[in-house]
Amino acid sequence: MAKTIMVIDDSASIRQVVNITLKKAGYDVVEACDGRDALGKLTGQKINLMVCDVNMPNMDGISFLKALKASQGYRFTPVIMLTTESQESKKQEGKEAGARAWVVKPFKPEQMLEAVSKLILP
Amino acid sequence: MEIDLSEARQTFVTESIELLQEMEGALLRLEGSPGDQETINSLFRSAHTIKGSSGVLGIESVERFTHAVENLLCKVRENEIRIDKKIIEVLFECRDHIQVLVDCASSGAGLSQGLLSREAELVKRLGSCIGGRGDAPDKTTEKETSGAEAGEGRLAATNAWHISIRFNGDLFRNGMDPASFLNYLAGLGETISITPLFERMPAAPEMDPEECYLGLEVDFRSEFDKKTIEDVFEFAREGSVIHILPPHSRVEAYMDMIRSLPEDFLLLGEILIKGGALTQHELDEALDMQKGEDAGAEQHKRLLGEIMVNEGMIYPEVVDAALERQKLSQASRSKEARTMRIDANKLDSLINLVGELVISGANMGQHARRLKDGWLTESASIMSRLVEEIRDNAMRMRMVPIGETFSRFNRVIRDIGRDSGKDIELKISGGETELDKTVIEKINDPLMHLVRNAADHGIEMPEERASKGKAPKGTVRLNAYHDAGSIVIEVSDDGRGLSRERIFKKACALGLLSPAQTPSDSELFRLIFEPGFSTAEQVTKLSGRGVGMDVVKRNIEALRGAVDVESDGRSGTTVRIRLPLTLAIIDGFMVGVGGSSYVIPLDMVVECVEFSEAERRAANRRRYMNLRGEMLPYIRLRDFFGTQGQEARFENIVVVRCAGQKAGFVVDDLYGEVQTVIKPLGRVYRDVKGIAGATITGNGKVALILDAPALMEGAGGGATASNLN
Repeated sequence: MAKTIMVIDDSASIRQVVNITLKKAGYDVVEACDGRDALGKLTGQKINLMVCDVNMPNMDGISFLKALKASQGYRFTPVIMLTTESQESKKQEGKEAGARAWVVKPFKPEQMLEAVSKLILP
Repeated sequence: MEIDLSEARQTFVTESIELLQEMEGALLRLEGSPGDQETINSLFRSAHTIKGSSGVLGIESVERFTHAVENLLCKVRENEIRIDKKIIEVLFECRDHIQVLVDCASSGAGLSQGLLSREAELVKRLGSCIGGRGDAPDKTTEKETSGAEAGEGRLAATNAWHISIRFNGDLFRNGMDPASFLNYLAGLGETISITPLFERMPAAPEMDPEECYLGLEVDFRSEFDKKTIEDVFEFAREGSVIHILPPHSRVEAYMDMIRSLPEDFLLLGEILIKGGALTQHELDEALDMQKGEDAGAEQHKRLLGEIMVNEGMIYPEVVDAALERQKLSQASRSKEARTMRIDANKLDSLINLVGELVISGANMGQHARRLKDGWLTESASIMSRLVEEIRDNAMRMRMVPIGETFSRFNRVIRDIGRDSGKDIELKISGGETELDKTVIEKINDPLMHLVRNAADHGIEMPEERASKGKAPKGTVRLNAYHDAGSIVIEVSDDGRGLSRERIFKKACALGLLSPAQTPSDSELFRLIFEPGFSTAEQVTKLSGRGVGMDVVKRNIEALRGAVDVESDGRSGTTVRIRLPLTLAIIDGFMVGVGGSSYVIPLDMVVECVEFSEAERRAANRRRYMNLRGEMLPYIRLRDFFGTQGQEARFENIVVVRCAGQKAGFVVDDLYGEVQTVIKPLGRVYRDVKGIAGATITGNGKVALILDAPALMEGAGGGATASNLN
């Protein structure tokens, strides 16, 4: 069965790029447009991995991570953060909140897939 | 890997337009309250998102420039720079430039020299806003060169890398599998040997099945550099102990060396990183270790506290908070979840189908009544009620509030004010009034023209205003409201008003009036909508746009709307646009003249009265009647449409009201209310005055929909014209 990856980003075009990339590599993709939306969509379905933006309206990536780690069902789901180079400090914050990997925007599809393949369980 | 991103590019363009719109709103708000952190955040986020998306999509022109803007915004957000008028001005211009760049990217056009120099200028100004604090983002340059160091001393005998890992006990709990690292590693080279270590594994009763006790010693041959190999374990790094020793390296050489020379720690570390012998991470770890030794037990305590917090002490509260948020998100889903984008064509075809449904429903109702079948009649009436609801809902889907269109003019007013040195304020009311989306799209240009006119020509310079005893700050008002089945949009200003004299002169010059005539204000002002009518002062920036008031009028009439203007020298000018609620379906009142049926929009119908014999006799001499002491101009549809055949014995007058005026239409028969789906007329009939469209009635015949405002102009105008003569 294909693995499901949730993509959380407020930019529709970035979601689309990640979505296309991951689908092409054979993953199923679920999209959410910010942390709050993502929490709302986590209703028991199996998510194998999440790719999450940091700077988002309503609920940013770090708060989302914290909420995720505190949740019952998804606290062990690995999360890849999508950051930009101007946010080194955020990277540290993300690390503390439990992010497992960082992909820096702008990223190449290969980089994204590499990070995903390292983290997703076979 | 080849991935087609053209679709995502399209999304990017749409998204950027929205974000730029938000930026503009935020900037305008900032002008009012420069310190508002929330607004600054949203401004930053917009720029940030545009930069991020354009970067991912490889639209470099946008990314490069937006990055410069983001830098400035970042400093503003961190309170390093205070935002002031100058910065806001630069940001406005940058926003516009981003828009131009996005447009270029979407059309595939290259950047012209002019654009590039514009960009250079803006970047320079952004830099000067940031000041001497350095405009480059803080980057930790991690330059890694591959290859082992030709170190001194005893070298390891093997030509393979040696990797030694003691996994973090929480590895499983973090959702990882040690085997996946080895799989991945195998892709980089040849694994010579793997030695698992189980020393840490306790006896079975004490063993925690979720704990990872594994250690590995791996010998590995690879052409890749140290950084790449280390990256394999990137996600396991935390809490795990990992040593990666290149071929021929001295065991523990680097760490020992560093430890033995603590005073030069940073310097040494940096040199080693540059030489490619150590990675940044190993250095960081060593650094942490050193700190740990210095700070001692206290730090341990602090860490422990953090771990406790992370691992469960405050667990219940956090869960509560998360649940609370979840509830919140269900109540007010984020924008994207609450709304759905639907292709306008799909919606149009739905509306069309609903229209057909209305017609066939009416048809069925008629048959049911004719058959006098009680059950059938009841079913038909229930169905027609449902169809009506569906119709209303379908129409509502196309309705959008006009507020967003209105608020775009904030920027227009601001720019005009800045360019002309006037102090102008835009006041918006009735922004929640909903209009058909098609109407809103088409009303934008006429509104733009009217607003610019009001600000550019209406509002006087502050000194002039002061000398007239007005407040120095001019006001342009945009207002929208519902009125008798139509939407009224008002553009008004408190400026100098229209000049009667000048318009009169111009009208005479154009041959629209003779100097002997004395038209009323409203008749005279209406002339500004005539083609080619523009008084001398009206030729400024606007004339270059090639849109005159006649075009405004034409655009509005194309929407079955009407426009009129009101003005006096003191309180300024008001242009009132009257638009139908919707373009597709209306409630109508059906009347008959001769053998033909006509539909009058129901909202305009006030009453129906009998056209008495006495009035009919007087009809040849005048075209107005006495309606309970009021003068009512009327128009005989039979005459207007040149209907052939025997005149009816009895006639009726339908009194309609539109734009505060009343008029009567003389008809033969009154059929009553109908729901009508407006079908546009063919090209040949499109310009026929007095007809707004056609509809198909329940019995399949065509009925013409009357354009009441246009007809009334004929009725009212005729009456005044006869007075003038």
